Amino acid sequence: MIKLINISKIYPPNIAALRKINLHIKPGEFVSIVGQSGTGKTTLVKTLIGEEKVSGGKIIIGGWDITNIGRREVPFLRRQIGVVFQDFKLLDKKTLFENVAFALQVCGQTAKKIRNIVPHVLKIVGLEGKMKRYPYEISGGEQQRVVIARALVHRPKILLADEPTGNLDSINAEEIIELLQKINKFGTTIVLVTHNREAVNRLRKRVITLDKGTVSGDQAVGKYIL
Amino acid sequence: MFLLSFFRVIKFSFQDIGRNIWLSVITITILILALFSVNMLLTVNMISNSAIEAVKEKIDVILYLKEDAEEDKAAALKIKISNLSQVKEVSYISKAEALKSFKLKHRDNPEILEALRELGKNPLTPSLVIKPQNADDYQALMDSLSGIDDDIIESRNFDDHKSMLEKINSITDKISEVGVFISFIFVLITLLLVYNSIRVAIYTHRREIKIMRLVGASNWFIRAPFLFSSIIYTLAGILSIIIIYYFFLSLLQPYLETFFIGYDINLLTYFKDNFVFIFGLQFIISLIVNVVASLFAVGKYSKV
Repeated sequence: MIKLINISKIYPPNIAALRKINLHIKPGEFVSIVGQSGTGKTTLVKTLIGEEKVSGGKIIIGGWDITNIGRREVPFLRRQIGVVFQDFKLLDKKTLFENVAFALQVCGQTAKKIRNIVPHVLKIVGLEGKMKRYPYEISGGEQQRVVIARALVHRPKILLADEPTGNLDSINAEEIIELLQKINKFGTTIVLVTHNREAVNRLRKRVITLDKGTVSGDQAVGKYIL
Repeated sequence: MFLLSFFRVIKFSFQDIGRNIWLSVITITILILALFSVNMLLTVNMISNSAIEAVKEKIDVILYLKEDAEEDKAAALKIKISNLSQVKEVSYISKAEALKSFKLKHRDNPEILEALRELGKNPLTPSLVIKPQNADDYQALMDSLSGIDDDIIESRNFDDHKSMLEKINSITDKISEVGVFISFIFVLITLLLVYNSIRVAIYTHRREIKIMRLVGASNWFIRAPFLFSSIIYTLAGILSIIIIYYFFLSLLQPYLETFFIGYDINLLTYFKDNFVFIFGLQFIISLIVNVVASLFAVGKYSKV
């Protein structure tokens, strides 16, 4: 599903964020990427969604070489990868339904299709009864669920979650991890970038550890070890 | 799908304008002010041109003949001058006619009439009044007249006309130069203002733009609402200026008619006759300026 072959990312003047990283993530896998701050985790996510270009190496997603992806192709890549960030990034003046629908509207989906898909996705994340509420009327955990719902409306094969529990308390964080597991069971490949030691240890899934821009550990059933 | 996206772009564009209503109002107001200034320049230019043409029309070249010039010789000279290509019309004013005209002109000035009476004879000379074919041909006409050698000609001093025409032409040129310069400044101000408005609009929508990028909206879809907004600003500006300027002209016209009695200066008719050219051109130029400014702003600031 995701192949990283010898990728490096050097920021000017000569700061290496990623150094010769080789990874292979299979379809349907649940992978946690851990590491201290500044080890290149977010840079890795940005290269996977075409926001940053690598300085060397090759990135292949679902057979598509995105190493030198053009600006016009980036939107098509993003429709195949769902992305969830730490800061929730919801539109305050839109209802939960409208926030999720927005992702489909901007990609040219018909109103009928939007009316069918959005309630279904909101049901998956457990917010079916709150579609008409505004982001400020729900909890932080619920807001993150809306973001996940929005990331899912395109039915992506990969979901990238960069610190999705970073702003949440432990109960809400646990619920979000459970939700990601549920989505993974549907067959979606999950790449979770996190600092949440408890969550990673409880998952008992593959753990990739980054250190100073290199892969320092890759365990099939791993633990959060730094 | 394209049509659907197009309608959504229009919807988002109107939403942008509505959510930043004050910014939109200010942008349109400045556009109206810029267009008002351009139209004012056009009006001033039109008035000055009409006034100058009217003055030129009134300037006749007068060739004074000797007091004892015989009428048949004057008639021969008249024919000779009439044959010049720059001449539209030549009239012979005899001594008696000149006196009659002089008395009529000064009928309200008893001192001059009394002085004329005391003189006891007609002191005026016969003359040939020459109207040029084209107001711009004065110099060529004067050169041709200077070349005619006839002993009945008393004087052919055209210096007054020459300096007056030079002054008029210089004023016309200066008005045009200042007009072009001021218009250029206004185009520049409008360019910067629209650029800034779109920049602020993008800044207020940066969260939305970021989400759009994240969920896979195309660059066209992200940028188009801002470009469409600039088209709406242009349309609103042009429509407003048409209404405002026609109202302004209807107020100005009676004053102009009073000021330029006897001259045919009708601004309302001028603007009505040239409506498509004047406002069409302003719309096209404003649209180009606005779209160029928006393209720059969107290109630079929409990469959230």
